[in-house]
Amino acid sequence: MFALISARKGRTLGGVGALLVSSAMLVAGPVSAQGSDTGVDPETWTPEYVRSIAGQTEPNTAEECSQVVPLDYSGSVDYWYVGPNEASPELEHKMYDDFWAAWEETYPNIEVNAQNLGYNDMLNKLRTAALGNAAPGVARLPILWGSEFAAKGQLSELSPEDVGYKTENFWPGAMKSVTQNNKVWGIPTNNETMAFIWNAGIFEEAGLDPEKAPDTWAEVVEYSKQINEKTGKAGYGLVARVNAGNTPFRFMPMAWGEGGGALDEASDSPSYQEVWVNNDGTRRAVQNYYDMYVRDKSVPVSALTNTQTENQDPFLANQLAMVIAHPSEYATMLDRANKATGDDKAAAMQVVDNMRYGMIPRGEDRRAVVFGGSNVHIFNPDNVDGDLDMEAAKALVCFMTGPEWSTKLAWVSSNPGNTRGFETVWMKERLDTIKFLDVSTSMLPSGIPFPPVAESPEIMNIIIPEMLQNALTEKMTVEEAAADAEKKVNALLNGM
Amino acid sequence: MNSSTGRKPTPRGLFGRIADHRLDYLYILPAIGVMLLVIAYPIYYTFYLSFFRTPPSLAMSDKVFNGIGNYITILTSESFHEVTINTVVWTVWSTFFATALGLGAALVLNRQFAGRGVLRGLLLIPYVISAVAASYIWRWIYHSDFGVLGAILNRLGIIDGKLNLLDNVNLVLPSLIVVNVWKEFPFAMIMILAGLQTVPDQLLKAARVDGAGAFHRFLHVTLPHLKGVMVITVLLLFVANLNHFTIPWIMTGGGPAGASDIWITQIYQIAFGRIRFGLASAYSVILFAVMVVIGYFYVRALTGNDDVRRRG
Repeated sequence: MFALISARKGRTLGGVGALLVSSAMLVAGPVSAQGSDTGVDPETWTPEYVRSIAGQTEPNTAEECSQVVPLDYSGSVDYWYVGPNEASPELEHKMYDDFWAAWEETYPNIEVNAQNLGYNDMLNKLRTAALGNAAPGVARLPILWGSEFAAKGQLSELSPEDVGYKTENFWPGAMKSVTQNNKVWGIPTNNETMAFIWNAGIFEEAGLDPEKAPDTWAEVVEYSKQINEKTGKAGYGLVARVNAGNTPFRFMPMAWGEGGGALDEASDSPSYQEVWVNNDGTRRAVQNYYDMYVRDKSVPVSALTNTQTENQDPFLANQLAMVIAHPSEYATMLDRANKATGDDKAAAMQVVDNMRYGMIPRGEDRRAVVFGGSNVHIFNPDNVDGDLDMEAAKALVCFMTGPEWSTKLAWVSSNPGNTRGFETVWMKERLDTIKFLDVSTSMLPSGIPFPPVAESPEIMNIIIPEMLQNALTEKMTVEEAAADAEKKVNALLNGM
Repeated sequence: MNSSTGRKPTPRGLFGRIADHRLDYLYILPAIGVMLLVIAYPIYYTFYLSFFRTPPSLAMSDKVFNGIGNYITILTSESFHEVTINTVVWTVWSTFFATALGLGAALVLNRQFAGRGVLRGLLLIPYVISAVAASYIWRWIYHSDFGVLGAILNRLGIIDGKLNLLDNVNLVLPSLIVVNVWKEFPFAMIMILAGLQTVPDQLLKAARVDGAGAFHRFLHVTLPHLKGVMVITVLLLFVANLNHFTIPWIMTGGGPAGASDIWITQIYQIAFGRIRFGLASAYSVILFAVMVVIGYFYVRALTGNDDVRRRG
């Protein structure tokens, strides 16, 4: 089985393949090239390219959606979503207010009973509501959540074509996250990836080029060691806490980059039936973690109980050199530095000045990053409270997934799920005002979503972190830890 | 009432007695209704669910009857044995040290000295702090890279380098037990202090007159009087520790590598991390069975005291 898996992994777009895709993009234009199964060419989708396509269009959402549901349609729909809260920037609140104002102007006769639920509350509420046939008609969910409801038959089929858009206008990675059993159960609203962030000041102190990020994971291990040896500071901000989403979001890019995975989610046509957690690539990634934590001791000792939140303090205190974080990390650090006082403030502002963003390093196999974001779903009429007004639901979904609002609602911390959004004037405005946005945006083609299967949360949040902890505490060897994880994933897939 | 007439009471059947007290039953009916709803039904449903396989890919209505499969899965799993050992270590040592420390503090506070009231207030602080807040505070005290404790020990020259407590499989559970004992000992202290104040002063004086030293007075007069309250305190602490979730979950999430995973964190993980409500229910039933045994001894300890009082 392992030989089979290894043989399947010659799938990077090297040589002729890459040339063909690049040529196709040049011929067909910037966005239409994204429709192929493999997505756009990661090498072409650079920060410069992202800037070059922005600002060309200003689509008319009302006109587009009127082709799907007449603007004078009368009806109502319930809608649940995770929206801005007290901690969100004012701009995000404004965008949502603008959205609802535009909606009412466009569809004045469709009443939307919208509930903005907190991230931590929504999943369990939705599970309970769906179980009691009291689910809302429409819900926008974080990328991984929908698969559970789809598996349980609680969603309606819903593809971009159902609301007047084309599947090729959405990231292939995002479409994978809403596809189950060859059926499409939702539409991506927004997508984002993380970026590699480093402190140029510590790099200089350690004798490294302050403006150059490590290009490979092997270099990350080397840099981390050198930083620790030369400065006594922690090199890489490793996190390996169990039951914390932070852990797989940082480990899986390394595993995928090295040619591994949990299931076969990193392959071009994943079946989500093959288990890759004990292949060469995944073991190589675990070995990287082991080398940094156990052999070199170049990362925080607290990595086993840390999440990324705990890495922010040492990073801002100039004690940690490299982390993987969201595009909004710069704004977060700047905000925290501004709240500091006296000498601390000056030191923190210096760190913020020294922050650099780069692409997530590549492994032996590829460059990869977790494809995050949200999808909108329409629930199965049988599970909805009252009668589902499908036309009203489609109008709402069309309105929010078009190039305009998928860009505006993702303004602060994400990117439009509809890739036509990248060509708009609003995207240009974002690029002009949000620092480092072009870097994290250019990682999107390398994005891989977690497997859209109901077992995903357990695999990603428990089995993968447990594998890391078993190896990092030397309770097991790297090989034993990977084999143990494989056994657990197999048992899980077999319904044990 | 019958005795006032001088006649022997007429034996009455169950229904007769219920009829006699119908108004009393009516008064407690709402309370019984609420209890049935919020206690009895969940217990029944947990038992029921423990016989079903509920993989995350299935809706709850499609759950598959599995007999005692869940129980077999739990009892034969390697992790169950590991988690059980952790649970026993956590519960026994937390209870022992909290009781011992509480006893010591109560004996001190039972004496007259200046500042006793202030000290009593200070010692109660850990008990009144929210467990969540305390867990976060201790997490930073223990933090393996930037912890206050490590910094102090380094400054004093006791250690050189990082103090790794929470990320060390051998030290994590003892470290959490320290936090738990710190949080719980004031409860034991208050209970035992209340018990100490019921020890008859004349007995202590008589023992002193008979030439008994402080240790012998404690051993032969004070301790026997404390027996009842000590048993109840130990049982209550034991139950509380067996069910204690907050400190291990917030501080380590059961890690690293399961080294601080106890039954209750494991149940939570299975139910809400792995979405296996059937398996988690079976685990809960096992925990419930243990609690019932402890509850039996607790009730016996309580009613035993009543019997003694009645006989006295």
